[in-house]
Amino acid sequence: MNVFLCLLKKELRTCFYSPIAYVVMFFFWALTGGNFIWLLSQLAHGESLTMATQLMFSGPLLTFALPVVVPLITMRLFAEEKKLGTLEALLTTSVRVPELVLAKFFGALVFYIVLWLPAIIYGYTQSYLCPSDVLGFPDGGAFRSGALGVILVGSLYIAVGLFMSSLTSNQIVAAIGGFAILFGSFLGMMYMAYTAQNPSVRIVGQYFSSFVHMMDFSRGIVDSRIVIMYLSHAAWFLFATVKIVESKRV
Amino acid sequence: MIKVSGVTKKYPARLAVDNVSFEVGRGEIVGFLGPNGAGKTTTMRMLTGYLPMNFGSIEVAGYDISKQPQEVRRRIGYLPESCPLYPEMRVDEYLRFRAALKGVKATGRRAKINEVKEKCGLTDVGKRIIGQLSKGYRQRVGLADSLVHDPDLLVLDEPTVGLDPYQIRQVRELITQLAERHTILLSTHILPEVEAICERILIINEGKIVASDTEENLHKKLHASSVIEMEVKAEKNAALARVSSMEGLDVRNASELADGWLWMEIEADSASMRVELFNLAVTEGWALRELREQNHSLEDTFVQITRNKGAE
Repeated sequence: MNVFLCLLKKELRTCFYSPIAYVVMFFFWALTGGNFIWLLSQLAHGESLTMATQLMFSGPLLTFALPVVVPLITMRLFAEEKKLGTLEALLTTSVRVPELVLAKFFGALVFYIVLWLPAIIYGYTQSYLCPSDVLGFPDGGAFRSGALGVILVGSLYIAVGLFMSSLTSNQIVAAIGGFAILFGSFLGMMYMAYTAQNPSVRIVGQYFSSFVHMMDFSRGIVDSRIVIMYLSHAAWFLFATVKIVESKRV
Repeated sequence: MIKVSGVTKKYPARLAVDNVSFEVGRGEIVGFLGPNGAGKTTTMRMLTGYLPMNFGSIEVAGYDISKQPQEVRRRIGYLPESCPLYPEMRVDEYLRFRAALKGVKATGRRAKINEVKEKCGLTDVGKRIIGQLSKGYRQRVGLADSLVHDPDLLVLDEPTVGLDPYQIRQVRELITQLAERHTILLSTHILPEVEAICERILIINEGKIVASDTEENLHKKLHASSVIEMEVKAEKNAALARVSSMEGLDVRNASELADGWLWMEIEADSASMRVELFNLAVTEGWALRELREQNHSLEDTFVQITRNKGAE
């Protein structure tokens, strides 16, 4: 446990030392701000209040920003350690591979949550500014479950990115590979869920599409099947990462 | 301290280490030599538990590496070949991180870090960022890191590669000092380094241990006869005839030096025949100004051993 905390601390530190973290943060926060202004103007033009949380969490941020941003966070994690040779230095101490993988995962997850902080702050500020007789915006429950959904989707994405990073010692390859898988599967599942003609394909698509799940989450529906699906998929990718790191040591 | 028996490591395309066995006793400094690609780094990586082996067993301080890897790792300080460090961290920060990982107790950690920093000459650079340090300092940071948990065994993979002669000397002195308290296994292909530091030499070639002995013994084994150099004031032909007529001595080479002295290279059955040569000079009335055994350099020995075995 001690070793794990020590590794986690180091991960967070390295993350915030790297310039790429601030570039990512700048763009993501700018997008969140833009998204919020757009959301308010939609509401001002008569969009229903129930749509507000959806626009916040399952709008363009989810569709276009996350598949780019998450691989940028995770590309460094194993690829850099391999390139520098520090993986050898780490694994010849009493560090166990699962500890290392989990530390990297949670380090990236903390940064990911930091990325979403402004959006959450906007939401809460908005609810303070609203006169109390106006029907609440945002709806507290829906807002919280939306945030939970974003974190669940994020943990799966981070696990995928981490897995890609463990396959190569080249950060660019890790980033592009991660982007291809995340964006490809996102669009593919969305196509299956909404556009495909065959009803059984549509059902399968709806089971797996993050977009569909996020619509539910931001309406305040927390479906335990979906929660378990995200957690178990993330766990599977983390397990695969452990196996890759254990086997590819040259 | 180390007991390696029958270790084999196969890579997909080739056999990197082939049935290697050796032992290193507590407190020894052993030089691990071999041409590039001979299997030095692979052996060291298996020894430190980074790479799994295909066959054989390795014991460090009585612990089997495949059964109790954690115990083994706790007792080894390992400096990998490229001396990997995090360039964005400060020296102190890095050493604190590594000390914590290696289980140095929080209460004594600061003192321990200061101690290794002092040993490695890093006291002034604690606040510097590792990426901005020179290669020599980085090497010292790596060395300090390998020492921080007070390991019984130090495994150093080419610790002086890429350093300037002055830094090499410093690192070498440091290693010699460390030898008082630790067992050291040191790989390198800089031979004078081994001659300067190590008590015993292991030579590996094409994945096999081809020699394991002290430097002197290696020379003795390879060179049954010894070569003696002698400089006398004497007439050339007479002197050559006189020396060659003695039993067990044979003049290989001779020349008259510019200052009128005669230089001879004599092959002798043993180096102790210098006494006979001295007596000869006395009885013949030659003035004698040099009489010495020619030393074989480790380089000769090394080349000979690795070439012989390679040609077999």
